[in-house]
Amino acid sequence: MLLPYFQRLESSSIGQAIRDSLWLFPTIEAFHLLALAVIGGAVLLVDFRLLGLGLKRQPLAVLAHDAQPFLIGSLLIMIASGVPLFLSEAIKCYYSFAFWTKMTALALTILFTFTVRRRVTLADEARVGPFWSRAVGLTSILLWSTVGWGGRWIGFS
Amino acid sequence: MVLDLRLIGVTLKRVPVSQITTRILPWTKAAFVVMVISGVLLYYAIPLRTYHNIFFRMKVVLLILAGLNAWAFHAGPVYRRLAEWDEAPVSPRTARVAGAFSLVLWAAIIFSGRMIAYNWFDCESPTSRSVFIDKMAGCVRSDEVR
Repeated sequence: MLLPYFQRLESSSIGQAIRDSLWLFPTIEAFHLLALAVIGGAVLLVDFRLLGLGLKRQPLAVLAHDAQPFLIGSLLIMIASGVPLFLSEAIKCYYSFAFWTKMTALALTILFTFTVRRRVTLADEARVGPFWSRAVGLTSILLWSTVGWGGRWIGFS
Repeated sequence: MVLDLRLIGVTLKRVPVSQITTRILPWTKAAFVVMVISGVLLYYAIPLRTYHNIFFRMKVVLLILAGLNAWAFHAGPVYRRLAEWDEAPVSPRTARVAGAFSLVLWAAIIFSGRMIAYNWFDCESPTSRSVFIDKMAGCVRSDEVR
């Protein structure tokens, strides 16, 4: 159903340019990975705190507040670099189970991060309680891991 | 990276540096061990190709530099006086420089690590390479073989 649309994306000028270039794909990919390192830190710092690990003596809201710009900034770079990488091989992605897994997980992760997780990290800690904090931290780590797994596996098909 | 950014004074300014070194660095070290083990396994899968890969050689050098940088910082006089600037939002100059070096080095390590997978400069690759790159990669050029 979506195949013609993906074919059009693959033949877009950006996709074409990246395929024709020897170094464009690797370079964009490297920036994608640099942003991955940043987003990993921004997410794990807060998720570990939710799980009662890492910087557990610091107030959760302070950590979440400080991590926020790195989370959003790196997420934007990941999307901005991910889209052209996708455009260069849209048809391969269409047939890739890993790609669809990643995109589904990514949508769920973003939704979860900016609704439930956001409310819990900025809320009064005493009101949330350790069980829900841990549940949110664990869910976040599992969701992001699925995104990461899918991303790595797109390259193996 | 969290420590580096704190040292530079970009984030977590309200968190004492010692909190990060004691609560985060153990995780960093554990993750580093996992990366070394998995990295060695990946190396042993295709040792010859990797050994002659210019990005691999670059990455090893960068890793050594990152190690030296971290060692110099943790063994140095500024770190020994950590108690004096632990809670200061902006660290002393030496610590900021060490943090900046570390960030740049690790970014370069990620970059070169990713590039190992590409074969532009492989000894057998048909792409034209300069004598310099062949030297750096330790390639034996066919015209040298008698």
